[in-house]
Amino acid sequence: MSEKKTKKTGKMLNATYGLKNIMGRHFLAIEQAFREGKPTAWATSGSPVEYLYVMGVQPMLPENSATVAAAQKYSKNFIEIAEDEGYSYDLCSYFKTNVGAVVSKAEMSKGGTRKPTFMLSTDVICDTHVNWFQVQAERFNVPHFTLDIPHVVSNTNKRQYDYFKKYVQEQLHGLVDFIQEVTGNEYKEEKAKEVINNSWDLSMVWQDIYNLRKEIPCPISTRDTFGGLFPLFCMPGLKEPIKLYKRMYKEAKQRVDNGIGALKQEKYRLMFEGIPFWHSLKFFSVLEQWGAIIVYEPYTYAFSKYMNPNVTKEYLLSNPIDAMSELLLSFWYVYDLKTRIKKFAETVEQWNIDGVILHENLSCRPNSCGLYDLKRHLMDDFNIPCLIISGDMNDPRKFNDLQVTNQIESFMEILEKSKKR
Amino acid sequence: MKKIGIFDSCVDTPEEIILAADFVPYRFFSDPTVEIDKVNEHIPPTHCMWTRNLLEQAINGLDKDIIGIIASHGCDRTNREFDIWIECINLDFMFFLNTPLKNDETALKFFINDMKELIFQMEEYFNLKITPANIKEAIRKMNQIRSFLKEISEYRSKMILKGSEFHALVKYAQTQDKDEVLEKLSSKLEELKNKKPFSNDDLKKILLTGSDIDDTELIKYLESLGFHVIIDDLGVGTRYFWNRVDENDEPIRALAKYHLNKPIYSTKFPSYKRFEVLKNLIENYNVEGVINIAQKFCEPVLYDHPYLSKKMKELGIPYLFIEVTYNRESYKQLSTRFSAFAEIISR
Ligand code: SF4
Ligand code: SF4
Repeated sequence: MSEKKTKKTGKMLNATYGLKNIMGRHFLAIEQAFREGKPTAWATSGSPVEYLYVMGVQPMLPENSATVAAAQKYSKNFIEIAEDEGYSYDLCSYFKTNVGAVVSKAEMSKGGTRKPTFMLSTDVICDTHVNWFQVQAERFNVPHFTLDIPHVVSNTNKRQYDYFKKYVQEQLHGLVDFIQEVTGNEYKEEKAKEVINNSWDLSMVWQDIYNLRKEIPCPISTRDTFGGLFPLFCMPGLKEPIKLYKRMYKEAKQRVDNGIGALKQEKYRLMFEGIPFWHSLKFFSVLEQWGAIIVYEPYTYAFSKYMNPNVTKEYLLSNPIDAMSELLLSFWYVYDLKTRIKKFAETVEQWNIDGVILHENLSCRPNSCGLYDLKRHLMDDFNIPCLIISGDMNDPRKFNDLQVTNQIESFMEILEKSKKR
Repeated sequence: MKKIGIFDSCVDTPEEIILAADFVPYRFFSDPTVEIDKVNEHIPPTHCMWTRNLLEQAINGLDKDIIGIIASHGCDRTNREFDIWIECINLDFMFFLNTPLKNDETALKFFINDMKELIFQMEEYFNLKITPANIKEAIRKMNQIRSFLKEISEYRSKMILKGSEFHALVKYAQTQDKDEVLEKLSSKLEELKNKKPFSNDDLKKILLTGSDIDDTELIKYLESLGFHVIIDDLGVGTRYFWNRVDENDEPIRALAKYHLNKPIYSTKFPSYKRFEVLKNLIENYNVEGVINIAQKFCEPVLYDHPYLSKKMKELGIPYLFIEVTYNRESYKQLSTRFSAFAEIISR
């Protein structure tokens, strides 16, 4: 595919431009916390960041910072610094980006982070999160609390689920004690209600936005969701991002009402599984050249966290620790294989999806695991065209542009044929 | 005798429960001679070579006496690949044991619950009873095996027993009928008591750490290069028998405590404590060098390596880190690095 062809065609929502301000405020809040000597914490994605806000701790999410580095083409350099420290070529590139950024004292605008008061990780998504923070907590000599979330597998039963939940609950109580001990700040019920309320509202608007993507043509492309995701990571509990999401929703709704899509001509509707290649976002423009639009990414949807029908707002507000435990056990991003297959098939149906692109992420073994079986089931049992492409979200050395473009071309031909049928 | 297969990145599965049900615990080990083929349809080639090998063997056909499988939470591999095992293996009894990441009171309580669930499901599925008395008896038997292994292990530092021979013995203990294991260990001990030390002039006395290396040929290869594994902290090694289960405590609680308190592996938190384990062994066994071998793509060990490397330097002990692929031919390509390390030790 020629260079000329990769020019941007997808229309981003005007509201999405406001994201820059929101994220700017997040970084300012971090700076301010340092100036004022307020406690700060690093948190891994999937950890209950809400608790940090409840207890007056300013969160920082190094994964978010790593994507900033990749989008600005700094990640390769940071990764190589980490490899010079002895971290293998095969380890997660988010982790290595963070190590390199810290070692080289990178500014926050380039993907750097500041030394936190403490670290909060969980193994709910991956081992890497726990190992990563162990590495960095040792470097900074700060305390590290980790939550051990039992793995729900294809044959976990209700009885097991119940004692899994108790285990998580007890650890969440332990987390509150830990934060109190380290910072002196107390857990206040009123504040908890406010934060959880905001977190819930934020997610609900995000889900509303996602529901608009069911429309044909789809009003929103990955230009809005890939970046739009970050407030869910970093700011669940604050009011500002809710306003931004509402503006995004309103604008997208107007598009729907007027039959306007994010693409001029929507030909194929796709699902993209995995983390995007932050260093090569132009890949997604290549798709648009074919009239293909991604209408669903489990990655950006999963972090709207309140997807378990058992966890209502009332439940959350009346019993936050209990409800949060349930959520940690039923997180979309770590569904067991059987549930994952079912959920994909349902999503394909509901969002009118023509094909699925699965990112075999060389950095993210937990997410890549099961991808082959998922693909086979989607193709054989549900007749859904699927394509696996191999790459890495933050390491441009592991992304073969030409190969991926060729794969996409062939996939588009398959989609064309299957549409004609 | 019927067996329960164990899919475990270390030795976190309470074999006593399997024994109390009158089955043989059978830990799955890799086989470097197996041709990797079918597993390529399930697990990407850039994932842990070891678990890929296990699944390949399982797809090719399990031992006909295996009537169920227990997988234990270790690294992301066991956690995520268990569902693929359910997909590929035609066995009804498949249990995922969530051995905790941490070792505090909360984790202990949870682990006890998870073991009780395992017992419940085994009783129900196999229509049998696993009584506290049976578990206690199994604990006694396993403790005897642990004591024997610990005593035999010492013959490595007495320069009477080769590391490879010991390694094979531990593998035997993790796969065979435990009464036969007891017999074999007891006669081995007798044999060792009467044996004279081998000449050790040029042998480099090393501590072996890293992923749970299970190919005895690799240890033999190290020996052929002049190394002697005097001690290790592997699951196919000391981690399997270093501590004992408390025979006076309530049996399930005792088992849970035992597993949470045994020498830590890189899959548990905080894995940096593994250095303390190694340091003790280094000091107590006059170790001359540490070899840390990671299976290719073994993330837990890859994460720990730079820290261990730094700490070993502080300790002033030569340290070598090697990644191996599951292929015996590839061992030979490492000879230059091993030989260079031997030279460093000699200096
Ligand atoms: S990319 Fe994967 S391995 Fe890396 S931190 Fe994220 S979930 Fe973990
Ligand atoms: S070798 Fe490493 S990655 Fe593989 S199962 Fe063992 S601990 Fe996990």
